[in-house]
Amino acid sequence: MRSVIRTNEFTLAVIAALGFAALAVATDFNLLTAGTLDAFLRFLALPIVIGLAQMVVLAVGQMNLSVGVLTGFCAVASGWLMVDAGLPAPVAVLAALALGAVVGLVNGLLVIFTRINGFIVTLATMTILEGLRYGVNGTGTYQGYSPGLRGFGQASVAGVPVVFLLAVVIAVAVALFFRRTVPGRHLLASGGNPFAARLSGISNDRALVLAHTLSGLLAGFAAVIVVAAFGSVNASIGDDLLLPSFAAPIIGGVALAGGMISVTGTVLAAFLVRLVDVSQSQFDINRRWVDLIIGAVVLGAVLLGQFRDKLSGGPR
Amino acid sequence: MKTETAPEAPAVPPAAEPRPPARALPVWANPRLGLLIVIAVLVVLFSSLTPAFLDPRLTLAPLQADISVYVVVGLAQLAVLSLGHMNMAVGRMAALSTFAMGLAYDRLGVPLLVGLLVGLAVGAGIGALAGLLIAKTGVNSFVVTLALDFGLLGLVTILYTWATGGVSFAVQPSGLSALRFDTFADYCMGEVCGPRIPLVVPIAVAAALGVGLLFRHARLGREILMTGSNTVAAELSGIPTHRRVVAAHALSGLLAALAGFLLAANNGAFSANIGESFLLPSFLAPVLGGTLLAGGAVSVLGTALGATLTQVIYKGLNLLQFSLEELKLYIGLVLLAALSLDRLRAVLAERRAVSSS
Repeated sequence: MRSVIRTNEFTLAVIAALGFAALAVATDFNLLTAGTLDAFLRFLALPIVIGLAQMVVLAVGQMNLSVGVLTGFCAVASGWLMVDAGLPAPVAVLAALALGAVVGLVNGLLVIFTRINGFIVTLATMTILEGLRYGVNGTGTYQGYSPGLRGFGQASVAGVPVVFLLAVVIAVAVALFFRRTVPGRHLLASGGNPFAARLSGISNDRALVLAHTLSGLLAGFAAVIVVAAFGSVNASIGDDLLLPSFAAPIIGGVALAGGMISVTGTVLAAFLVRLVDVSQSQFDINRRWVDLIIGAVVLGAVLLGQFRDKLSGGPR
Repeated sequence: MKTETAPEAPAVPPAAEPRPPARALPVWANPRLGLLIVIAVLVVLFSSLTPAFLDPRLTLAPLQADISVYVVVGLAQLAVLSLGHMNMAVGRMAALSTFAMGLAYDRLGVPLLVGLLVGLAVGAGIGALAGLLIAKTGVNSFVVTLALDFGLLGLVTILYTWATGGVSFAVQPSGLSALRFDTFADYCMGEVCGPRIPLVVPIAVAAALGVGLLFRHARLGREILMTGSNTVAAELSGIPTHRRVVAAHALSGLLAALAGFLLAANNGAFSANIGESFLLPSFLAPVLGGTLLAGGAVSVLGTALGATLTQVIYKGLNLLQFSLEELKLYIGLVLLAALSLDRLRAVLAERRAVSSS
């Protein structure tokens, strides 16, 4: 029991629950009305998936700066497939996923073949993708595509938005991947200690490529959520996703050095960030205070983690 | 006879000759030379495609002013890359510092130089704060400066709204417009006029020289590099590594502030959007110039060349009517190509060094 209470996830869960309750009381329970709660969860799906996309590369000690822009690129590309090319929605969805995975694969291959730091490689591909994302449709907006897909984005099951359920399913799948599958364990082993992993017969290169490909695939899923839930896509999607993609795993207790992940922590952190976001719109606070608060929260979470490690005698 | 020849004997076998140090790679393996050649090729290409590229007043003078800004931006990142750290808040540090400058000019009416010094102090202060957090807590510099960036992003906008009710100061300190528009060609001694170089260029050159001398000859700079290459060894050698980390981050903040000032001078306004475009170029310039993210080694000349290359590409493609988004595509491709070539060159040079020895 003590060990459960000591965990970062437990702290985050308590903070999230308290924050949610406090916000519900402060808004005269407006937060709990069907419409507000629905919107709260619907727009929580994207931060969760984008945070997981960053988390899988952090697991091998890499970073993916292209994750936000890649989401935008996949979203715009699937918009193009549906509106300009006239393809049905399922094809566009699959294409977005495939595109994300392929770009991730390219990132991974570039990292292992050039031996350049992943930070720099994804910085370069981010810049390239920014150009490509704009190149699809310029400043134009795609809208009015597949009613089925948009309906999926707006649909709810028992008051819970379907896109949120999708995000939860993805989170569970990622958690199972890292906990139960051999490639997932290999990824973590390689991230934790590449040398020991190699001696145990694990290919670090394969782990790097797999992590980047997964990250791209998750960015593809994020793009599908955007396309379905937002109802329109343009070339500015993804610009404001880079910092949140790091904020969620870092607040959630994922180590930048690799080898240690927390899916629950990432999801809870995304929830917390969303809480701050919603309080901003509920109380009509200057948007900029939110950035200030999130910055402070990220720093606070990291310092807290450091402090706890010191108390428990070194990092776990 | 025997006694005379005997001492010579050991020197005869070629195997006893000292091997060339591993760093003595062939000339063509020097990344700086490669950058210089690429810049020269691009300049020739752009001037043949559009003669306007060589227009001294419309193209070359603004190009030099832009390069000046981004050399200093690159140096701001280089200051912490020396440690193997990153400064994700480089743009927002510049924004906060230029806010302080604008406030000083607007409310106190201080002269240009005093306001600049105020801004530099603010930049160095916020950089030192980041360094202190990193050194004291041992948290990854990426996380600390990313969080700081988030925080400053909010703070800067709030401060501008509070102080100006908008997003920029209306004040124009005397001398700012000279920095913006004048070149040395406007200042004559009798018949002899200066070259057509904007007044901001010497500031950037001085900053580059200062940083170069610091890392090459000054004790502080050498100790920062040693901290970057092996913190434990540096600590054991009696270097106060925590203080060196703070110093490097303070230097980064100071240079970011200077870059913000130069951009404000080029734009003619102290506004909240200064620094927004700093992050990517701040990494591009040092990395293109051969500075590693691992720390322990820096190249100031390479950073200057890297910034020049990026700005030449921007300017050239801009004149050829490429849109900003297309520019990004090509900049990204150039970065990847340059880095891959660099890697290839290093591998080839190593092979040649091995086979010739």
